[in-house]
Amino acid sequence: MLEPSEQPSPIIVEEALRDLRNRTLARLDGDFAKLVYLASTRDYNTGRYVHDGLSFRFSEPIVERALAAAHREVFASLAVSPLRTFVAQVEQYIRSGCARPDELVTTWNSSEAYRVLAPAADHPLTVRLFMSNVKVALAIVKATLVEHPRSQDPQSSLQLPSPGR
Amino acid sequence: MIGILSLSAVALLLIGLLLFLLRRSEATLSSDLSPLGSDDELSNAYESFEACCGELLDRMFGPDDWDFVLNCAPKQVQRLFLSERKELARYWLCQVRSRAKTAMRIHVAHARNSDKLEPFLELRLAIDYLMVRAKCELVAAVLSLRGPMALRKMIKQADGLSDQLTALLALVSKADALPSHTRVRR
Repeated sequence: MLEPSEQPSPIIVEEALRDLRNRTLARLDGDFAKLVYLASTRDYNTGRYVHDGLSFRFSEPIVERALAAAHREVFASLAVSPLRTFVAQVEQYIRSGCARPDELVTTWNSSEAYRVLAPAADHPLTVRLFMSNVKVALAIVKATLVEHPRSQDPQSSLQLPSPGR
Repeated sequence: MIGILSLSAVALLLIGLLLFLLRRSEATLSSDLSPLGSDDELSNAYESFEACCGELLDRMFGPDDWDFVLNCAPKQVQRLFLSERKELARYWLCQVRSRAKTAMRIHVAHARNSDKLEPFLELRLAIDYLMVRAKCELVAAVLSLRGPMALRKMIKQADGLSDQLTALLALVSKADALPSHTRVRR
């Protein structure tokens, strides 16, 4: 979304990225939660990334660059990870991020909210593989929830992001 | 005698079908010539293709994910996994076909305006293009007949198909003498 004339310095973008990783992303539990968080910092109408905390220290183009880079990085690492790892990440997100995991699975299956998680310019085949893996992971987690429902700490659900929040 | 006659009829039918498919493919190719494809389109075609292959194909067609689903998930999920991978494989094949077609479309457009055609290079391009198309059909046939997991035994074929397409795109770029930034680094 940046004009070519206003390319921010890569060193400052790297600093903003480090700040984002250390202060914000480090607090989130697992790559899937990080992905959901990063996707939620993007305005769906404009495609621009916004982060109030980072905006105190860095200019808007730098914040946007850093968030977009972090989003691509986390997405790429998740999208090509083995299904076993992927399912574990989704399950970790669902179990720690929601007081009613079964409700989350049902809602995600019906609304397909996970479609907003991919970065805009990523390769279409990678995006398709990701979506497909989410569908399979949700089915596996749903089956696991039926077999082993675990009690949840309702407080934990307040700390994790969700798509669109 | 009847056996020989019916075999000949089947052979003739197959040859006829092949000729029909070839003519149709040529017709589609020439009908696609306008509007003229740009060099950027070709450049984007192989840059994005090169970026996605290898690791992604291993993940899609490799044995690890299927083994995991087979051991850890109920039958219903196994069916879902197979149908999802089949869709992915179809999409990937569609991309390979469409990129090969784009490359040839751009090349034919360039070649029409060029007064220095190299017959051997043109022949090699045509053979490579037909090989890519034929391999696509083979992979599609295996996918339809035996499902996506049969492709894991064909992972080398799939990788080979990607390599072949990359080579084709590089050859097109060489033949059309594109600016250096649009050439494939191999």
